[in-house]
Amino acid sequence: MMLSGPAADPDQPGALIFGVSEVSTLICDLLDDARLQEIWVRGEVTNYKNHSSGHHYFSLSEGGERSSALINCVMWRSCAAELRFAPRNGMGVLAFGTLEVYEPHGRYQLIVRRLLPAGAGERHLMVERWKRELDAEGLFSPERKRPLPAFPRRVGVVTSRTGAALQDILSVISRRYPVEVVLSPAAVQGEGAHADIAEAIRRIDGLVDVIIVGRGGGSFEDLFPFNHPDVVRAVAACRTPVISAVGHEVDTALCDFAADLPAPTPSAAAERAVPDRVDLLREVAGHRERMRALLSHRIAAAENEVDDLRARMHPRRLERRVHERMQRLVEHADLLRRAALARVQRERAALAEARAELLGRDPLAALDRGYCIVGSGRRVMRSARDLHPGDRVMLLMKDGRCRAVIEEVTYDEDV
Amino acid sequence: MTKTFEEMLEELRGIVRRLEDGDASLEESISIYERGALLVKQCEDLLGAAEMKLTELGRDR
Repeated sequence: MMLSGPAADPDQPGALIFGVSEVSTLICDLLDDARLQEIWVRGEVTNYKNHSSGHHYFSLSEGGERSSALINCVMWRSCAAELRFAPRNGMGVLAFGTLEVYEPHGRYQLIVRRLLPAGAGERHLMVERWKRELDAEGLFSPERKRPLPAFPRRVGVVTSRTGAALQDILSVISRRYPVEVVLSPAAVQGEGAHADIAEAIRRIDGLVDVIIVGRGGGSFEDLFPFNHPDVVRAVAACRTPVISAVGHEVDTALCDFAADLPAPTPSAAAERAVPDRVDLLREVAGHRERMRALLSHRIAAAENEVDDLRARMHPRRLERRVHERMQRLVEHADLLRRAALARVQRERAALAEARAELLGRDPLAALDRGYCIVGSGRRVMRSARDLHPGDRVMLLMKDGRCRAVIEEVTYDEDV
Repeated sequence: MTKTFEEMLEELRGIVRRLEDGDASLEESISIYERGALLVKQCEDLLGAAEMKLTELGRDR
């Protein structure tokens, strides 16, 4: 374009200077062309969004592997209510509408009034075909899935050097469990991206403990290389476990099916790739507490053991035995005492009996046998010496008394 | 020869299991505990000191 000449210099007389709105109006006028009014457009639905407001937003695209043209479309709620089918990404459609400029955003869009299905889109068909083929090759089989290492020392990342995905991954890894991250850079969209990604995967395989392959969110076209059999085969051929992280939660790519673990986003992939330092610190602290508790338990058990032994040799035990013996001794002494007492009582009783017998004897019984008792006054005369001739005495006989006078007394000298 | 975090954590788990068994003598238990306490410290140090490093593979390999 030539920028010389009077028109390119705003100070030159005759130079026209437009306001933004004037240019915008001009564009509106230009696009207000009968060729862009009430027209049918054939294309493939992409970036389809059924907004909560009820309006439908999508794009119509055209082209082979990489879309060569794209028109933004909107279908207002009133028209969308007339839809006889649910538009999906990749669906080939015929759209009827008018091109309008939305001046505040400086963009044009097709206001779609009618939408008709025109068969599934070519690119989606291609992906479907690849999926069937690769599945038939066994690349998606669950038996192929390998566990991820619990503690990788090096994490490989295959993505764009400048993409948001790499930053997300680095931020998650540095926060959770800082390890070495090895980037194997690749263009993740555009012509030849699939070959670049496949090559980057092969290059890093075996050099790290786990590989994250992916990119951030984008349109179906943006994510398309991750559907390519080159990428899927490279993932499947990896000796190193692979986590696939393509786009957002809702996006899937064939590369997800071949990976050992599909992750919804690059951040989620990073979370699955490394453990969380906080969890590990918590576990370690738990082990420390458990060990302390177990050791004090062990010490308490040893103390109990010592206490038990001490109790078993304690003097109290001896004391108890002495007490036992003493008790027995006392019992024996008691028995002995009672036995002695019984004997004394027995003898005492025998004595009393003898005495009673003695006492029981009648002193006058001798009178029966012919003896008599000589009394003088109130005394019993026992000795001849107590009597003198002329003494008056009383003879007490068995059946009566006699007064008598002593005539003579003789002594038996030897008595 | 320094152990990896994984190896240290595994040994630590083993130590807790041995203490749980409770058939070690008191002397053994104490020395096992001391080994465990050292591992706890090393694990914490290792996690605390870790730093992320980014390297990039050349394309012409």
